[in-house]
Amino acid sequence: MTRTYTPWFLLVVALALAAVYLFPLYWMYVTSLKTGSEIFANPPTFWPNSPNPGVYPEVWARRTMPTFLMNSVLIAGGVTAITVILGTGCAYVLARYRNVWIDIGLFCVLMLQVLPASVMVTPLFVGFNQIGLLNYPRTAVVLAAAAKAMPFFVVLVRATFMSVPRELEEAALVDGNSRVGAFFSIVLPLARNGILVCAILTFMSSFGEYIYSKSIIQSPLLQPASVGLSGFLGPNSTDWSSIMAYSAIYVTPILLAFVILQRRIVSGLTSGALK
Amino acid sequence: MSRFFSWLRDGVGFDILLVGAALAFLLALAGAPLLYNVLMSFQQVDMFTLGVLFRPFVGFDNYVAVVQQPEFWLVTRNTLIFVFGSMTGQFILGFALALFFAQNFPGAATIRGLFLVSWVMPGLVVGAIWSWILAGDFGVLNVILKGLGIIDANVFWKSDPNFSIWAVIIANIWLGLAFNMLLLSVGLAAIPRDLYEAAELDGANAFQRFWTITLPMMRSTIGAVLSLGLIGTLQQFDLFPALTEGGPANTSNVAGFWSWQLSFQLYDFAKGATVSVMMFLLVLFASIVYVRSTRHEVRG
Amino acid sequence: MQYTKLGLLAGLAFGALVAATPAYAQVTLKVWSIDGNDRPGIADTFSKEFDEANEDIVVEYRYIPFDELVNETLRAFATGNAPDIVSFDNPDFALFSSRGAMLDITDRVANSEIISKAEYFEGPLNSVTWDGKLFGLPKYTDTIGIFYNKDLFAKAGLTEPPTTWAQVAEYAEKLTDPANNVYGITFSARAGEEGTFQFLPVIQMSGGNADKVNTEGAAQVLDIWKSLIDNGYASRDVLSLGQWDSTGVFNSGNAAMAISGPWEIDRMVEDAKFDWGVALLPTIEEGGARSSALGGFNWGIMANTQHPDEAFRLLEYYVSQEDRLFPEFGNLPARGDIELPVTGIEKKDAALKVFQEQLQYAQPRGPHPEWQKISKAIYDAEQQALTGQMPAMDALNQAQTVIDGIFNQ
Repeated sequence: MTRTYTPWFLLVVALALAAVYLFPLYWMYVTSLKTGSEIFANPPTFWPNSPNPGVYPEVWARRTMPTFLMNSVLIAGGVTAITVILGTGCAYVLARYRNVWIDIGLFCVLMLQVLPASVMVTPLFVGFNQIGLLNYPRTAVVLAAAAKAMPFFVVLVRATFMSVPRELEEAALVDGNSRVGAFFSIVLPLARNGILVCAILTFMSSFGEYIYSKSIIQSPLLQPASVGLSGFLGPNSTDWSSIMAYSAIYVTPILLAFVILQRRIVSGLTSGALK
Repeated sequence: MSRFFSWLRDGVGFDILLVGAALAFLLALAGAPLLYNVLMSFQQVDMFTLGVLFRPFVGFDNYVAVVQQPEFWLVTRNTLIFVFGSMTGQFILGFALALFFAQNFPGAATIRGLFLVSWVMPGLVVGAIWSWILAGDFGVLNVILKGLGIIDANVFWKSDPNFSIWAVIIANIWLGLAFNMLLLSVGLAAIPRDLYEAAELDGANAFQRFWTITLPMMRSTIGAVLSLGLIGTLQQFDLFPALTEGGPANTSNVAGFWSWQLSFQLYDFAKGATVSVMMFLLVLFASIVYVRSTRHEVRG
Repeated sequence: MQYTKLGLLAGLAFGALVAATPAYAQVTLKVWSIDGNDRPGIADTFSKEFDEANEDIVVEYRYIPFDELVNETLRAFATGNAPDIVSFDNPDFALFSSRGAMLDITDRVANSEIISKAEYFEGPLNSVTWDGKLFGLPKYTDTIGIFYNKDLFAKAGLTEPPTTWAQVAEYAEKLTDPANNVYGITFSARAGEEGTFQFLPVIQMSGGNADKVNTEGAAQVLDIWKSLIDNGYASRDVLSLGQWDSTGVFNSGNAAMAISGPWEIDRMVEDAKFDWGVALLPTIEEGGARSSALGGFNWGIMANTQHPDEAFRLLEYYVSQEDRLFPEFGNLPARGDIELPVTGIEKKDAALKVFQEQLQYAQPRGPHPEWQKISKAIYDAEQQALTGQMPAMDALNQAQTVIDGIFNQ
């Protein structure tokens, strides 16, 4: 079908769609600048009556954000590393064959992530306590969160491996490569983009890991930013402006990083469909 | 010895190693808690026995008690509505957006990246913001809908028993849209362009191309997205305490939230575990369907 | 020469003896509470002071978010890592005290020179008592009253705040101004503890309590509240707003009355651009029985503590500093003998006087070890009635059946 719209029209539509979708993000920024009760004003104000940008430096200082953010990065990094290392191989195998064993494997992988984290915390806590892992709380959280993220990663990366033609791998084997060699030199590079996208998704979602961190990490020096955020919730009162400011400080860099990263990956994806 | 290594490097051992490592990890860190919960649903639990595995066995008493709770059928109904409503919305809108952004125009990739904002924002914040957007009096959604003339009076999304589940569904669709869109985009990108060109030359219109090329080639991705989407939707939690806390009168209470309520607000751990096992059974069924569907997948 | 050598030997021997005697054994106490995360609070400040003042005791303080207190303590209890002193929201206390998880301090308190049981308000004291024995002490308390916008009242020709619920309905009708987006009243009937928090006092003032909720009076007030919502004098969103957010609506001038507690005062002083005041919670009949909600936290020593005596000393220290509760932290002590200093902010002082009076009538939620389930039955019934899913009396009867089941276990 020959398109009659110019690419610029599509761009405008895209921007409009993004604007609609990003409205909650905008609301987050705006709310951070409002005073406590203005949030509840009727009719709602789309721009604060007297913006208070001072809330940002205040929250930064009050909440030792550098420490929190560093911990978040460490935990997310650890989770992503374990997930990618263990999950990629598993996904490869689950994509390679089709038999009862694979079915069972895939099924197990899927079912093991069904329970919500809140229910898994107690037994994990008890278990970690038994083996003394609670003395290394961030490691414990990384392990627990990786177990949560892995099935998701495996299922998605398996779909990526499904698009790597078997013939290429067979050719490599015929050429004398071992299975290991074929895997690392042929299959993996071809699936690289899909794996990368999933790895980034895993990083981003484990950056916000909250439930395990909240219970397993007790020292404020080791807690990630998501736990720091919950500190604003009092038994009766909630400092919404500070919460939104904190969230803005936390969200903005990641979002920017992702937007930049994603461009490079997706351009790789779209330009090189496997021929 | 070298036979063993070559078995690992070149034979079936390689496969077993790769899958085994991951499965062992998962069994230890996810399988054990699962077992703990399933066991707990058949036992009598109190604060002193939280840390042990073997407690008084009560058979199916917990299950009977859960089904007899006045809110059981309402929660079941809500869960089904929530899951189908959310997944349909997320999938259709996600697919539409993925198709849209698959086209070539400047800035497509960058703008698409912005949609991941819902993944980056902390759950607490997303919940609070949607709570304000969906508020009856000072909420922006009503302002916009009234401005567009779609409604006359304010709709109390969170407080009207007829709408409360839809309030959570709307917020959840927003939340899950990005995930669906991004993954469907990756799947779309893997389809070779020349297939479309060939079809176009053969005279197929856009809809036919979609139906005969896009969908079948995306089968594996769609399957993954739907099954993961189902699991993720069932696990959705953050929106509930922020928006309605299951109310009014349990009209927006779903299995995931109810299980949490029972365990961590009412401190009835056995019932909470029981509800989570029931949820598990639902996913079991869906997973079997997914795994069987992968048999028809075409590789490469 | 000989004396010096002998002296040296003696000195060495003596020194060895002193060194061999174990130094004052260091006791470590673990204290868990919700304070200190955002700004210095009661528990962390007092713990630090005690730690510094006592060489033999080290106090390790840990902050726990409000929602996690019970669950963290349960988990820690299960793994043998329980703290020595913990502070719970008052209705959660019975969960622990009834199961013997808290130390019985009846005798210690009776013998204490610092703590005097008689000074505490009855309500808070009830929440730390179980089976006639004392298992903890109130930390601070709060309650609820009715805030009202004096400017809007004057505009509607009203001078005094309402004293009965029927009057509340009457006034709300006059005060509602849809053109200016003003509701007559806002409160919280949210699905959760906050809903019960505001509704239980109504049950209590009608002669009922946690064990009897299906009273005539309670059904009557539910009908009044329902009419407020149906007529548009109160927003339908009271069914999902918490107290803090709901009163935020009051502060921005979109409601003429609000039901909430003293925690609102500081924000109100800053944000509300109108003249306001607080009154005692309305009653069912003119001059009828009063009740109000009881908020606030309790301290307790956990039963499996290794150092009960030291923990009790720490508790005594907390109690001895209770006169600082208000001036430094803005919390109301649960005692009638402490005079609150005047802050100089007129509206705040007037409000506090009302709340102090209200505390005399505040009754606890429970205490009962399964309070949370009772609470759910109550707020479910409240919401069913307010949304018209069931007539008020039917909803309360249904709740009563559930509650009977809990009490008869």
